[in-house]
Amino acid sequence: MTRVSVVAPSAQLTAFSPKVRIRRGVSVAFMVAALLAIAISMIMLGALIVEIAVDGAARLFTDGAPVGREARGGGILTDLPTPAGIGWMTWALPVAVLLPFIGPRLINALVPGLPQIAERAIGFIVVAPAAIFVHILYVRFESAYYVEYAKAVGIDGASGNIFQVLGEASGFQIVRLLLVGILVPLAIFAAGWFWAHRMRRPSLIIPAIIIAGWVVYLFMDPWFLSSFPSRKPADAGIFSAVTGTLYMMVITVAVAFPLGVGAAIYLEEYAKPNWFSRMIQVNISNLAGVPSIIYGLLGLQVFVRVLEFERSVLAGACTMALLVMPIIIVSAQEALRTVPPSMREAAYAVGATRWQVIRFHVLPYAFGGMLTGNILAMSRAIGETAPLIAIGALTFIAFLADSPTDDFTVLPIQIFNWVARPQAGFHEIAASAIIVLMAILLLMNAAAIIMRQRTRTDW
Amino acid sequence: MARNFFTLMRSSAPTATAVSGANQSGPTTTPPPPPNIKEDADAGVHLDPTLEAVRHEITEELDMALQLRQVSAFYGSFQAIDNMSMPIPRNRVTALIGPSGCGKSTLLRCFNRMNDLIPGARVEGEIEFEGRNLLDPAMDAVEVRRRIGMVFQKPNPFPKSIYENVAFGARINGYSGDMDRLVEESLRRAALWDEVKDELDKSGLALSGGQQQRLCIARAIAVQPEIILMDEPASALDPVATLKIEDLMRELAEEYTIVVVTHNMQQAGRVSDYTAFLLAGEERVGRLVEFGPTQDIFTNPLDQRTEDYITGRYG
Ligand SMILES: Nc1ncnc2c1ncn2[C@@H]1O[C@H](COP(=O)(O)OP(=O)(O)OP(=O)(O)O)[C@@H](O)[C@H]1O
Ligand SMILES: [Mg+2]
Repeated sequence: MTRVSVVAPSAQLTAFSPKVRIRRGVSVAFMVAALLAIAISMIMLGALIVEIAVDGAARLFTDGAPVGREARGGGILTDLPTPAGIGWMTWALPVAVLLPFIGPRLINALVPGLPQIAERAIGFIVVAPAAIFVHILYVRFESAYYVEYAKAVGIDGASGNIFQVLGEASGFQIVRLLLVGILVPLAIFAAGWFWAHRMRRPSLIIPAIIIAGWVVYLFMDPWFLSSFPSRKPADAGIFSAVTGTLYMMVITVAVAFPLGVGAAIYLEEYAKPNWFSRMIQVNISNLAGVPSIIYGLLGLQVFVRVLEFERSVLAGACTMALLVMPIIIVSAQEALRTVPPSMREAAYAVGATRWQVIRFHVLPYAFGGMLTGNILAMSRAIGETAPLIAIGALTFIAFLADSPTDDFTVLPIQIFNWVARPQAGFHEIAASAIIVLMAILLLMNAAAIIMRQRTRTDW
Repeated sequence: MARNFFTLMRSSAPTATAVSGANQSGPTTTPPPPPNIKEDADAGVHLDPTLEAVRHEITEELDMALQLRQVSAFYGSFQAIDNMSMPIPRNRVTALIGPSGCGKSTLLRCFNRMNDLIPGARVEGEIEFEGRNLLDPAMDAVEVRRRIGMVFQKPNPFPKSIYENVAFGARINGYSGDMDRLVEESLRRAALWDEVKDELDKSGLALSGGQQQRLCIARAIAVQPEIILMDEPASALDPVATLKIEDLMRELAEEYTIVVVTHNMQQAGRVSDYTAFLLAGEERVGRLVEFGPTQDIFTNPLDQRTEDYITGRYG
């Protein structure tokens, strides 16, 4: 046996060997590319937000004279007296940011030595109603706002007492009141809570703040969230578009997730590395790059015409499922590849069959990654417009879909439709709808990040 | 199984003849296997090491858990081990020693068909296990692995609770008895029970390295295998944990057959009854140099290379 010199290897290990330098160069290039991509998309997103914010703020800070619903759009720019809108901002954001800090400290001071989880739970239980209470007080005393508020949720003869209003309200109105009067402050509070306790996850701070901020804006016109589209911008809302979007997403996930994950499991765990599985793999990658309008035409022919789903939620969801399937497959494959081989071996070594290894070890381990991929795929689907226009989704839906075969509309189509109209009022409510869409998107992305981090650390 | 197995259950005729069949000086009742004489540049002509093993009368006397015959293993076109023949005595600890890369892990993984899981890996020859060749593709690898357990070099508990780690194997193999008792019993046998009995819900990954390795041993015991394969089970452990694992091996050897890979000569001397010395030549193909009772291998090796390796002069 030839002895290996001990000098040569250590010389190779220095940072300046040509190979190491090339590898560094490559990694720097990748980093720059990634940073550029992130920066560009952040700038574009930021520009959009700023534009909407400036437009909205300009309205908010005008002299305050109500312009009247007929004259202008609804959406975020309601005809509430200006101070009310600003008043909301002045208390809601500080509450959202400060209460989560103060709450646990207060509890800690009162009852020292509680386990952290209990502390947080009590903090939430105590502080959340406090936020709602502050909100009710606010509504109670800002009567100008309150009257508008009562009107907005459809209660006549409001007299200045929230409990009286609750007594007069019908079931549907109470649901609306709850929605805008309690859930929204809760959401603001939760966003702040979240922010305070997840300081170690800075990636979530921005989405949380943006969502909180825009939820505040939305709150100024509860009408908008819970109204059907209308010929008059002031009366138009996105109720059917939001529900249609959610409905379609549920069916899309139900179709695409099991199929996509199944395909990924097949490709990663079962397929032999022959020409057939290579062909499938290549084609899945190709499909991920096909323009979405093509999927729309495919859906039009297959689902709408041949299978006779008509222009239904089902047809839209199936088309969307096709569209996002490659994304789900590829990300699920990635997730499966992260499963450490040592874990598979451990399971095989106690006599597990291949399916038992997959079912009890591989899938639980990879599930978080799969969910993340799924949510990212969903957030692509939620913004897609072209394929749904191609299959002929309607734009004016004044009812809620009861069954998967009903007509439907979704947010992007509603937005597209409003933007395409000549009246300025529709442009404004389109801006509002964009904010809602963006809030949903950011929420989904935040959920994806949380899920990924939870599944990495939760063992 | 009683300790004085030499007097019990003499190995059945086919096993004995098959091994002595490899001995060209002995009476041959089966067709002679491929020539065992090898040309080796530096060692000159020497006989297949199995011949030495036979001279130790052990293959005649032993009750064998496994019997290897001309086992070769390949990774794609690379041959990792070549033509190894040796017995694995039942209820004994057998140590596999040899320098890094000589094919110890590869050989160990042949015993429970783990090489099936590596794409391109292939094993030739025969490993007799209860009268059948466990390398036979018709043999159910899952069943083989249930009956021949394995503990890996790096502790690899499942990312699940301690309880689940131990219970998993038994559950998937249809164990219908009292699971709590099985878990407790397995953990006791692995000398871990006292340390974890109050926190069976804790993640297996939250244990220390030594505890994790004992958990892996408990996991292997829980499916009640006949043979336990251990690939350097103490390589990542401190001396105290190592001693615990060694004690454990000695204890387990009363009921199980144990094959252990180790780089630690003292350890091999302390725990094993039999030792196989493997070596890879210039072409990196691993071959069996010598197999015999540990005492003989350590005090009176037949092959110069064994002595060199054991005394640390090899390389
Ligand atoms: N999965 C694999 N694919 C290809 N070659 C492999 C693979 N695993 C091991 N080998 C090769 O087979 C030979 C024997 O490897 P093996 O892991 O059995 O050695 P070992 O004796 O266990 O070494 P160590 O003491 O370092 O663990 C080595 O030359 C190694 O490079
Ligand atoms: Mg090894």
